[in-house]
Amino acid sequence: MTIPIIGVSVFPIIKIFVVFALGLYIAFALVVVRQVQLMTDTLEVGFEGPLRFLAIMHLLFAIAVLIFALIIL
Amino acid sequence: MGDIFVGEKHKEEEKAKEPNMTHEVKDPEKFHTKVEEDIKKAEKPITREHIPGHTHNPLSAYDYFPDNIDFETREREEKIVLFLRRHPITNLKWILVTVLLLIAPFFLGAFPLLDFLPGNFRFIAVLGWYLGTMAYILENFLSWYFNVYIVTDERIIDIDFNNLIYKEVSDANIDRIQDVTYKMGGVARTFFNYGDVEIQTASEVPNFEFAAVPQPDRVAKVLQDLRIEEEQEKLEGRVR
Repeated sequence: MTIPIIGVSVFPIIKIFVVFALGLYIAFALVVVRQVQLMTDTLEVGFEGPLRFLAIMHLLFAIAVLIFALIIL
Repeated sequence: MGDIFVGEKHKEEEKAKEPNMTHEVKDPEKFHTKVEEDIKKAEKPITREHIPGHTHNPLSAYDYFPDNIDFETREREEKIVLFLRRHPITNLKWILVTVLLLIAPFFLGAFPLLDFLPGNFRFIAVLGWYLGTMAYILENFLSWYFNVYIVTDERIIDIDFNNLIYKEVSDANIDRIQDVTYKMGGVARTFFNYGDVEIQTASEVPNFEFAAVPQPDRVAKVLQDLRIEEEQEKLEGRVR
């Protein structure tokens, strides 16, 4: 698929957008990890371990998707 | 003077009634347990276990005299009386949306929305969809989990975690509470016994709202008892 006037393929442009969006998402996931860390310091309820694990897994999943996107796109 | 006009028989009947009346007043089963008595019970781990409303569940929305909860600004002698968050049933809406979000990609084949994209792009789109779903789950769960209200024997604390990048912690002393109102309206709230407790204070933050907390009547009663307790402490000069 190409852009009609320029004759350039659309997919490299989509790839750049996807990688950029995933980069932003990783920044968001980092904020979540930091916020969970701060909140668990503010309030201790006895569920801090699973929460931190969840936030870190979310970050790792986002990084994995970015790496995967760089490889297969 | 009034006794002259009361017949002997009637007096005897009244006397016979008196022991029952005093028995009714002293019967703890007919009244809410006083916070003061519960504070004494909570000091011993064995008796603490038997206080109604006490639980060890970290995901509980109502915990009376919690023993595994702590917060940053708690003073050493300060005792946590109530730990509250929104009733779990308030999460139902986002849980249902999450289920729909999770199963949506399986129905993607029926709608050729992404058919113009090659297979690898479609696969990344599905992964991106699940990332978004995960963010949605985290945002909603953390908002519920960290949006808590704490009542100690000295003050009330409202920890607001509105979204992933904004939090607000405010507190007011018990003796600054001026008015406590609780509201319960609607089918779900009546059925699951939860509602809003509005607290007006004379502190810098004039209004506190404990939104959608379980058993709002008991929360209001606890706050009332703590206010009385605080007044008594002031009169007796036991202020910390």
